[in-house]
Amino acid sequence: MNQGQDLIVDQRYDLIVIGSGPAGISAAINGVIRKKKVKVFGISDLSEKLTKAPRIDNYLGFFGVSGMDLKNSFANHIQKMDIQITEEKVDAVYAMGDHFAVSTRLNMYEATSVVVATGVSIKKSIPGEDVFLGKGVGYCATCDAPIYKNKVVAIVGYDVHAEEEANFMLDVASKVYYIPMYKPIKKIREGIEILEKKPKEIIGDDHAKKLLFQDGELEADGFFILKDSVDLDQLVPGVEIAEGHFKVDRHMETNIPGLYAAGDCTGKPYQYLKAAGEGQVAALNAVSYLDNR
Amino acid sequence: MKEVMDATFMEEVMNSEQPVLVDFWAPWCGPCKMVTPVMEELSTQYDGKIKVVKVNVDENPEISEALRITSIPTIVLFKEGQPKDAVVGFRPKQDFEKMIEKHL
Repeated sequence: MNQGQDLIVDQRYDLIVIGSGPAGISAAINGVIRKKKVKVFGISDLSEKLTKAPRIDNYLGFFGVSGMDLKNSFANHIQKMDIQITEEKVDAVYAMGDHFAVSTRLNMYEATSVVVATGVSIKKSIPGEDVFLGKGVGYCATCDAPIYKNKVVAIVGYDVHAEEEANFMLDVASKVYYIPMYKPIKKIREGIEILEKKPKEIIGDDHAKKLLFQDGELEADGFFILKDSVDLDQLVPGVEIAEGHFKVDRHMETNIPGLYAAGDCTGKPYQYLKAAGEGQVAALNAVSYLDNR
Repeated sequence: MKEVMDATFMEEVMNSEQPVLVDFWAPWCGPCKMVTPVMEELSTQYDGKIKVVKVNVDENPEISEALRITSIPTIVLFKEGQPKDAVVGFRPKQDFEKMIEKHL
């Protein structure tokens, strides 16, 4: 990713909110009410889970509302407060010490505090993936390409963006296997061997050696798992995770000072009002963090 | 921060009297770019106590291969010629501080 282009650093924000579901929106409006310079990353539909909900009876004040109607109310609310959603997918949040660098596919943004409200992803990792991370398993093929010069590389791609990395790897590696987890394939270069199989496990000794399928196996020197949604500890390197969710205290603060989390990504119950409440707590504590600096 | 090569690794890292923090990186790796300023800050902060150097894995395949570096950035702490601790990927500055303090 990002190779061959310089990252653009926008001006520094007080608060960057990652995610446009109920938690993110609630964090954003509270940050703006407290006159902070806020930027929100998300999607124009705010939350896919919300728009797909047929009927909601447990959102205070909105009995029997459809998810779509509730989404429209949220959209109307942020529009009145002049809050825009930046439709860029955040790849990583780097804790630089006195600020955070938020990188998207194309740009780099800076903020003094961050609220992560990315929801939960249902995408499960391949067993063995975490065991061999850094020992033959990686998440950024273009980053690690020089290490695999003249070696055999297997790439498991969860979305079309992974193709770009596989194509790039072909220039370096002696052999590239591509295992697509989606359909259809858009543009894979000739010379890459496509395997339409479902990965079962990554095995090895002190180093990853094989990718097992339901039927058969594949030997390689390196394995890359390129997902459309990154795991939370891949999104924020160094953050503490507890049972698959961000570990937060009552202030919704993570182990990294100035970094807060809210909504489903902090744990169950997965509910709209809990998410909105956590977003508010996170934003207000981010505001005190900013004011105390 | 000093650049160390395959040819100078023995002298600069293995035979160093101070502990050495080695940042394995390559120019086209995004997270590596983020680690660099953190390494520079650590270099200043621990001046006289530890040495901080970097190795471009693209240009120095021998040492990267010997140490089985398979992902970058990888940051390895060497003490008395031995790798004592390693971190794969970007980490907040305080994580590196903890790692360094443990071996001082």
